[in-house]
Amino acid sequence: MTDDSQRNFRSVYYEKVGFRGVEEKKSLEILLKDDRLDIEKLCTFSQRFPLPSMYRALVWKALLGILPPHHDTHSQVMAYRKDQYHDILHALTVVRFISDATPQAEVYLRMYQLESGKLPRSPSFPLEPEDEVFLAIAKAMEEMVEDSVDCYWISRCFVKQLNNKYRDALPQLPKAFEQYLNLEDSRLLSHLKTCSAVSKLPYDLWFQRCFAGCLPESSLQRVWDKVVSGSCKILVFVAVEILLTFKIKVMALNSAEKITKFLENIPQDSSDAIVSKAIDLWHKHCGTPVHSA
Amino acid sequence: MAQLANIGELLSMLDSSTLGVRDDVTAIFKESLNSERGPMLVNTLVDYYLETNSQPVLHILTTLQEPHDKHLLDKINEYVGKAATRLSILSLLGHVVRLQPSWKHKLSQAPLLPSLLKCLKMDTDVVVLTTGVLVLITMLPMIPQSGKQHLLDFFDIFGRLSSWCLKKPGHVTEVYLVHLHASVYALFHRLYGMYPCNFVSFLRSHYSMKENVETFEEVVKPMMEHVRIHPELVTGSKDHELDPRRWKTLETHDVVIECAKISLDPTEASYEDGYSVSHQLSACFPYRSADVTTSPYVDTQNSYGGSTSTPSSSSRLMLFSPPGQLPQSLSSPSTRLLPEPLQASLWSPSAVCGMTTPPTSPGNVPADLSHPYSKAFGTTAGGKGTPSGTPATSPPPAPPCPQDDCVHGSAAQASATAPRKEERADSSRPYLHRQSNDRGLEDPPGSKGSVTLRNLPDFLGDLASEEDSIEKDKEEAAISKELSEITTAEADPVVPRGGFDSPFYRDSLSGSQRKTHSAASGTQGSSVNPEPLHSSLDKHGPDTPKQAFTPIDPPSGSADVSPAGDRDRQTSLETSILTPSPCKIPPQRGVSFGSGQLPPYDHLFEVALPKTACHFVSKKTEELLKKVKGNPEEDCVPSTSPMEVLDRLIEQGAGAHSKELSRLSLPSKSVDWTHFGGSPPSDELRTLRDQLLLLHNQLLYERFKRQQHALRNRRLLRKVIRAAALEEHNAAMKDQLKLQEKDIQMWKVSLQKEQARYSQLQEQRDTMVTQLHSQIRQLQHDREEFYNQSQELQTKLEDCRNMIAELRVELKKANNKVCHTELLLSQVSQKLSNSESVQQQMEFLNRQLLVLGEVNELYLEQLQSKHPDTTKEVEMMKTAYRKELEKNRSHLLQQNQRLDASQRRVLELESLLAKKDHLLLEQKKYLEDVKSQASGQLLAAESRYEAQRKITRVLELEILDLYGRLEKDGRLRKLEEDRAEAAEAAEERLDCCSDGCTDSLVGHNEEASGHNGETRTSRPGGTRASCGGRVTGGSSSSSSELSTPEKPPSQRFSSRWEPALGEPSSSIPTTVGSLPSSKSFLGMKARELFRNKSESQCDEDSVTMSSSSLSETLKTELGKDSGTENKTSLSLDAPHPSSPNSDNVGQLHIMDYNETHPEHS
Repeated sequence: MTDDSQRNFRSVYYEKVGFRGVEEKKSLEILLKDDRLDIEKLCTFSQRFPLPSMYRALVWKALLGILPPHHDTHSQVMAYRKDQYHDILHALTVVRFISDATPQAEVYLRMYQLESGKLPRSPSFPLEPEDEVFLAIAKAMEEMVEDSVDCYWISRCFVKQLNNKYRDALPQLPKAFEQYLNLEDSRLLSHLKTCSAVSKLPYDLWFQRCFAGCLPESSLQRVWDKVVSGSCKILVFVAVEILLTFKIKVMALNSAEKITKFLENIPQDSSDAIVSKAIDLWHKHCGTPVHSA
Repeated sequence: MAQLANIGELLSMLDSSTLGVRDDVTAIFKESLNSERGPMLVNTLVDYYLETNSQPVLHILTTLQEPHDKHLLDKINEYVGKAATRLSILSLLGHVVRLQPSWKHKLSQAPLLPSLLKCLKMDTDVVVLTTGVLVLITMLPMIPQSGKQHLLDFFDIFGRLSSWCLKKPGHVTEVYLVHLHASVYALFHRLYGMYPCNFVSFLRSHYSMKENVETFEEVVKPMMEHVRIHPELVTGSKDHELDPRRWKTLETHDVVIECAKISLDPTEASYEDGYSVSHQLSACFPYRSADVTTSPYVDTQNSYGGSTSTPSSSSRLMLFSPPGQLPQSLSSPSTRLLPEPLQASLWSPSAVCGMTTPPTSPGNVPADLSHPYSKAFGTTAGGKGTPSGTPATSPPPAPPCPQDDCVHGSAAQASATAPRKEERADSSRPYLHRQSNDRGLEDPPGSKGSVTLRNLPDFLGDLASEEDSIEKDKEEAAISKELSEITTAEADPVVPRGGFDSPFYRDSLSGSQRKTHSAASGTQGSSVNPEPLHSSLDKHGPDTPKQAFTPIDPPSGSADVSPAGDRDRQTSLETSILTPSPCKIPPQRGVSFGSGQLPPYDHLFEVALPKTACHFVSKKTEELLKKVKGNPEEDCVPSTSPMEVLDRLIEQGAGAHSKELSRLSLPSKSVDWTHFGGSPPSDELRTLRDQLLLLHNQLLYERFKRQQHALRNRRLLRKVIRAAALEEHNAAMKDQLKLQEKDIQMWKVSLQKEQARYSQLQEQRDTMVTQLHSQIRQLQHDREEFYNQSQELQTKLEDCRNMIAELRVELKKANNKVCHTELLLSQVSQKLSNSESVQQQMEFLNRQLLVLGEVNELYLEQLQSKHPDTTKEVEMMKTAYRKELEKNRSHLLQQNQRLDASQRRVLELESLLAKKDHLLLEQKKYLEDVKSQASGQLLAAESRYEAQRKITRVLELEILDLYGRLEKDGRLRKLEEDRAEAAEAAEERLDCCSDGCTDSLVGHNEEASGHNGETRTSRPGGTRASCGGRVTGGSSSSSSELSTPEKPPSQRFSSRWEPALGEPSSSIPTTVGSLPSSKSFLGMKARELFRNKSESQCDEDSVTMSSSSLSETLKTELGKDSGTENKTSLSLDAPHPSSPNSDNVGQLHIMDYNETHPEHS
């Protein structure tokens, strides 16, 4: 790491003592100062550390390819993106798919549909499952990102990434989930199996929607940091951690439906802890991501 | 009964003259008494005794043991009640009591005591009363605790009897009254001594009564003059006196002595406190010494008396003595021992004075003390013949008494002895002096003693100035006076009213006494009674012992007589009383008779005395002096036999006397009672008998007292022995101490010696030490010197060694040098040899040289003579060569310079090349950046474009939808309007066709097939794509079919949306036509860029592959496109497309540069 010299020499001790993220902001700033953004490094960084919220949108945009690596072109590219957004929005309003009353998420959905060429003939057509996924993610994203252009773009690219990059990985996640759950707590897994709830767990919610709507956005964005930076396995650990956290309750429930129902509506108060533990667990099992360079 | 008879026989046998039978019978009786417990035997014995007055029976009765006491007491009690037997039974009781049987304590409880008291209260017989009182007095100390019950009885008896003394109820003989008075006096003493408080209170109450006052004045008061104040009166109380605890610790004799202590009467008093009597004794001493010394020396005139006297004195001192001379060593301790007690006892009142005269007393004492004993021995030894020694041999005062008593009979003898004594008094004194002088050689203190004895008064009294001789004279005079007085006093009855004053005085005394008795009222004023006189003398005594030698000797002599003992006093009293009495002479005669019979008894004394005397004498003088008084009694103490003998003797004497009386003394009797005018002869006889009895009783009583004294004395003796032993021990210890002190001194001396020696030794040692120190110092000094020397030597040695080492080194060096030189030498020799050879060679060569030189010269000569013209040619050639050489050299220089320049040029070029390369790299990098930027922008633009396409598609779809709806709605209306619209549509189609033709022409020209394919692939779905494809790819006819329906809305649209449609309309054809071209163009560009990077040959290939015409057309088309685009963009929105175009131009420029660069390089 070339920027180590610029980092505070105390950072090592901070980490040892247990303060995390004291120096991340600075190092992130150093990373972002590069004229040509090193996407790889950003990826590694965001996988290792939680992103500061003020840079999250920027990092995400960079990671998702919304912004090019060069700072010079950012303004122009963003202008393009904006134009595109407005054009689409305009077109949709023209074709009366959306109106002012249309919720923003739906607007994004329609825009996404339009861009992907899947705009239904009529807005009244029932939504397909992937549209639901988008809608959920867009809703969550709406909370995280203020600017609507950014929001649209990020959610669009996020979903695209899910659909493209993780297309093969996502279906493997339930199996991985079972595996890690077995490692962590085999009893729980056996209980789930006896309840035959393993197959009925809310995998869609967890892995397709990436916990959008399941966890509060404040903690969700930390999970999504990892997802954006290219690791969808974190989802598995979050799921495992949820089960571990609510183990007692889950063990108390016997039927698959009840378990599923409970898991779909888990209490939100302990989500931060869940996420932290999940990240730890992830680090534990998959190792701390190190910059390959 | 047989037994009784037997007893009677036995009793009769008891009195048998045979001693053996009597003893046997006595033993039998004692056995039977031991075996039998009944009263029978005792009763019989008592009866028998009363009948016969048998002595053996009395002996048996008095020694009765425990169980029989009750019977005896009962029997006595019984007989006491009867008047007839009262007297005899009382005497029996007296006998019993006096022996102090073991059961004496029972007396107080026995009924006998009250009956006795009753008898004493009731009886009128003086003899009985006297006897009873004496018995009671004897009993009182034995049962002191009984006083509690009978105290008042005692006092009553005392009151009665004291009044009796005065009142004489009935016609009692005066003689009896004297006895009674004496016993009452004794009772007074006893009661006062034992119960002072009670007694005094009794006296107070009893004699406060008027009728008794006279009695008090006459009888009791004189008695009281003879007692001191009892200490109990001060400290005790009535109850305390009666407390049994008070008596518990006291024995009988203790009580007796207690009573005697308070008495001032010398006859009664005890001398234990050494108060009143001692000085009298001391006063007596001179007499005694005089008497005693005289008697032995005069009578025997042998050394026996002296020798005996000395042993006695020595024995007194040392408990034993050799019969011979007194050893100096022994005598000195004796003298040392004696003075203190003497002083204490004799001179206690004048203790201070006594203390001032220690040196004088020692000599005095032995002389004094030796005398009585010498006298005692002397009298016993040689005094058999002399009547003076016989009656009471031992006591110093005794001599007068016997003389009093006995000399009556032998007046002539007495008178004869008296002068002899007088003479002896004179002669013996010197003799004594002589003797003492003789002894003085051995025993100076002894001789001194006599002198000091006479000196004592000097110290003590008023006659200090008087000469010794005077004193002696006085003393002698006094002695002679006394002796004469005594003799005359004794002779007085014989020769009444004769001679000296003293007999008269004595007579007057006795007369006065008698007067006091006979006519109580008479001579009270002249009642210088012997007792008061005695007391006065007593009082005087301590202060003025001189009085013993003063002319008032007679009283002192009487005083001297008084301490001789109760008996003496009694006798003197008796005599004094008796002298006036008519029947005084007969008893005296009797006594004289008795004296004649005395020798055996005297012999017994002789036997008894030494024992006691030896013990006695060996103890303290004080005690001795006291015992001087007690001696006569003590003489009898050791054994009871003398007493019995005495009793018997008196009885027998009495019997003989009565016989004699009855035989012959009618005239005397007649004379007697005619002279007195008293009772008839029979009466007289009885009176005498009674008197005798009384006398006997009195005697017994006195003996009892004496016994008590003896007991006490024995105890005191024991103490004395112990004290002496302790003193002895003390002395021994002192000696030891002295010895040890001596030892200590010796040791001290030796210590000093040792210390001196030690100091000497130390000095020696010090000197030695100093010497040695100096030696050591010297030696050290030497040692240091030696050390220094050795060090010097060592340094020298070191130097030598160093030198040796140096020398060795030098030697080595020299050796080396030698070797070297040898080597050199060898080399030199070698060289020498070489040089020699070389010289030889040189010589040889020189020779050759010479030869050659000669040859050379020869040749030179030859040469000079032979070649003179070749030099020019050579010179010419040389110059030519030189020039040529120079030319070549300059050429070379030129060439070198060129080389340098070219090399420099090469370097420059190379650096330039490097710069260029660097620049190229930078450019490449920059290009990369730019490319990525552009690609990002492009991507964004592309997406935007894509979005635009999607938008248009949607819009188109919408439009189509709307069309569809329109067509459905207005199909009928279409048919009607077809004609009108057909014309319009034709016109429009013409316009469209022209556009489309040009487009199609261009597109066809470019690459129809490839583009179509591309367009197809780029438009996978959608109906219009196929339509478009048909439009482009297909003939115009086919497109006309399709375009016909399209035309009217497009026209309408265009009419309505002209500005909006302008762009799509223009863009669609471009897209249709130019999309691939543009894409291909861009791709070309990209590809070219990549190829520039990687492989330029491929690019060239591709360039070669594509025809030049194509590239040209492309260029033109591009120009057209750009132109159209520019136009449209200008028309639509100017700012947006312009900037990318400019960028594109820039890119192109750069690209050109890039392309040119490799060419350039």
